Amino acid sequence: MTSHINEPNESKYAKSARAFRGNVTRDLANDELRSNFRGAMDYLVDKRKNSFPSADELETLREQCKLIKQRCLLKLPHLLEQLETNLEANGIKVHWAETITEANEIIAQLITDKNGKTVVKGKSMVSEETALNDHLEAQNIECLESDMGEYIVQLAGQHPSHIIMPAIHQNKKQVADLFADNIDGFEHTTDVDALIGEGRRVLREKFCHADVGITGVNFAVAETGTLCLVENEGNGRMCTTVPNLHIAITGIEKVVEFLDDVPPLLSLLTRSATGQIISTYFNMISSPRKNGEKDGPEEVHLVLLDNGRSQAFADEELRQTLQCIRCGACMNHCPVYTRIGGHAYGTVYPGPIGKIVSPHMLGLEATNNLPTASSMCGACGEVCPVKIPIPKLLQRLRVESVKATTGKPEVMKGEGSGRKTIEAIIWKGWSLLHKHSILYNTSMWFATRLRKLMPNNIGVWTSVRTAPKLAPQTLHEKIKARQKLNTKKGDS
Amino acid sequence: MSSNSARSNILNKLKEQVSGADYTKLPNEVGYQYPTLSHQQHVAKFVGHLETNHAQVIKLKDSDIARVVVEQLKQRNISTIMTGKDTEASKLLTEIESDIAIEVYDFDLAADEPEHKENKERLFNDTPAGITSSCGAIAATGSIVLWPTINEPRSLSLVPPVHFVIVDADTMVQDFASLMKAQQWHDKLPTNALLISGPSKTADIQQTLAYGAHGPKELIVLLVNA
Repeated sequence: MTSHINEPNESKYAKSARAFRGNVTRDLANDELRSNFRGAMDYLVDKRKNSFPSADELETLREQCKLIKQRCLLKLPHLLEQLETNLEANGIKVHWAETITEANEIIAQLITDKNGKTVVKGKSMVSEETALNDHLEAQNIECLESDMGEYIVQLAGQHPSHIIMPAIHQNKKQVADLFADNIDGFEHTTDVDALIGEGRRVLREKFCHADVGITGVNFAVAETGTLCLVENEGNGRMCTTVPNLHIAITGIEKVVEFLDDVPPLLSLLTRSATGQIISTYFNMISSPRKNGEKDGPEEVHLVLLDNGRSQAFADEELRQTLQCIRCGACMNHCPVYTRIGGHAYGTVYPGPIGKIVSPHMLGLEATNNLPTASSMCGACGEVCPVKIPIPKLLQRLRVESVKATTGKPEVMKGEGSGRKTIEAIIWKGWSLLHKHSILYNTSMWFATRLRKLMPNNIGVWTSVRTAPKLAPQTLHEKIKARQKLNTKKGDS
Repeated sequence: MSSNSARSNILNKLKEQVSGADYTKLPNEVGYQYPTLSHQQHVAKFVGHLETNHAQVIKLKDSDIARVVVEQLKQRNISTIMTGKDTEASKLLTEIESDIAIEVYDFDLAADEPEHKENKERLFNDTPAGITSSCGAIAATGSIVLWPTINEPRSLSLVPPVHFVIVDADTMVQDFASLMKAQQWHDKLPTNALLISGPSKTADIQQTLAYGAHGPKELIVLLVNA
């Protein structure tokens, strides 16, 4: 095993991702968790299917949106500059951060500059990526998640187990217990309307008084300098409308070139995510409060985060990772995610997309296990609305993980960290055998004759399976024998 | 600030990769051709989608708006409604005789002075219903388009638990893309543009739909010219 040195600024998620195997064992043994995920995934798979009645429409949209995202990525540096120019012209200030620490520091500074003490947050996976709440709370800034799922997860001291439905791992009984333990005066009930009503009561009070609203961004439109947010609850609108300061944070890959790029992407996003033809709210913000307007924040800021995205960008194949519009369809359809759940991955982004995006954020050393945790069934690639070839990228990351040091420039941080000498030697031997027929035939002759010596107990493999046994003769020998027989018959 | 070097570092890394890219040879992005529907079909779709999403849609004449709003408020035991300043709704509602109190959104919500804090409390705690106009409607998704203005602030359609919205069926288009084209959104966008397609909702607890998560619990669409 390669040893690792913890970097001072390393994400806390690197540590939990390293614990992947242990996490899986833990969560597979949790029947309640497994039934929560199974129920939720079946529900979401069904909803998505019903929202695409026409296969022709779905395929046309997928191809179109793939091309839109690929065009926007090809022009990415220019679009980011154009976005910045247009946002600033509209009065929205743009900040750039290479690392999660930089992003957190920029945001903390913006808040303390305004003497902000309380923050309400709309759902933002990028802020989960930077562990922003931890950073702000260390500076005595109260940071409250306001998406119902995120609020539940925050109360429980957890992080989201799904990028669209953060509290999907909890059932209503668990949520009721959580509320009873944490909210004064809450009368225990498992009635979902009552539970949501309670969350609404607590959070509206916070919206009314918060100094700052922090949200993510679904699409940032370069052409007009517009930030688009997709949501159902109205908490995103609250965060971007009521407090005096709005800070949005997003990854650099979320920029699109034209306003016209938005409708097809939006249509695929909501349908792929939750099977809705559109979300309740589509919120487009193009400037802070203008003169005379009676509400809206006086200041709007956008923080653009790299955190490994430029690394993925530098390789044409891996760049496709950045096409992602964060719908979560890949995890909903993933047989592995459905069984182990979202927390086992240990990363912010779980499931298939998490397996291909996290290695760029956390390094392959911390995430070596993730690309291997796939049955390669291909469901993720088939449902991806922007046609990211996820299975192919998983294979590529497996190669990156075990490749030998070559002296060539590094493709990704932590490449080769999963390489094991014994494994490398075995594959070298395998390759040698298959290249030289004499060597191959001889070893096979011996292997088949000595098959009785093969152990019956080969570790994890035989814990749930019988051990594989070689046949008494190789296929080559049998075919040769048959050909001989046939020739004899032909002669007689 | 670190973000200046971050900016050039990020942009340089990206530019290095795509410096020679030829933008003239990009593949053609073909969109799906949706069948063209009649106005009546659009209206039916619009109403159907909204109702599926738990909105209440009432078809009526301009001249009936005030009366219907008063009726709906009474059914809910609500005695006040907030309107924008000098809007169509505020005029209609002040003209009609009723015991509903008409309040006008003519205060500053956002600034830090103490009296503005009271404004927030008032909007959050003492405003059970609001009424706004709209500037478009989308048939394909049952969406209502709002461009809040100085006279009709964005929080009026967000904070009060019941949101009445007047929609003119003559502003209806097939889909979002044709709406942006018809209204030339590329040239001018307001501080905040919104598509609203139902009352606020969530399925975050065990995939069970609940309405009134943070925004309006009820969306009542007053559809004229349908």
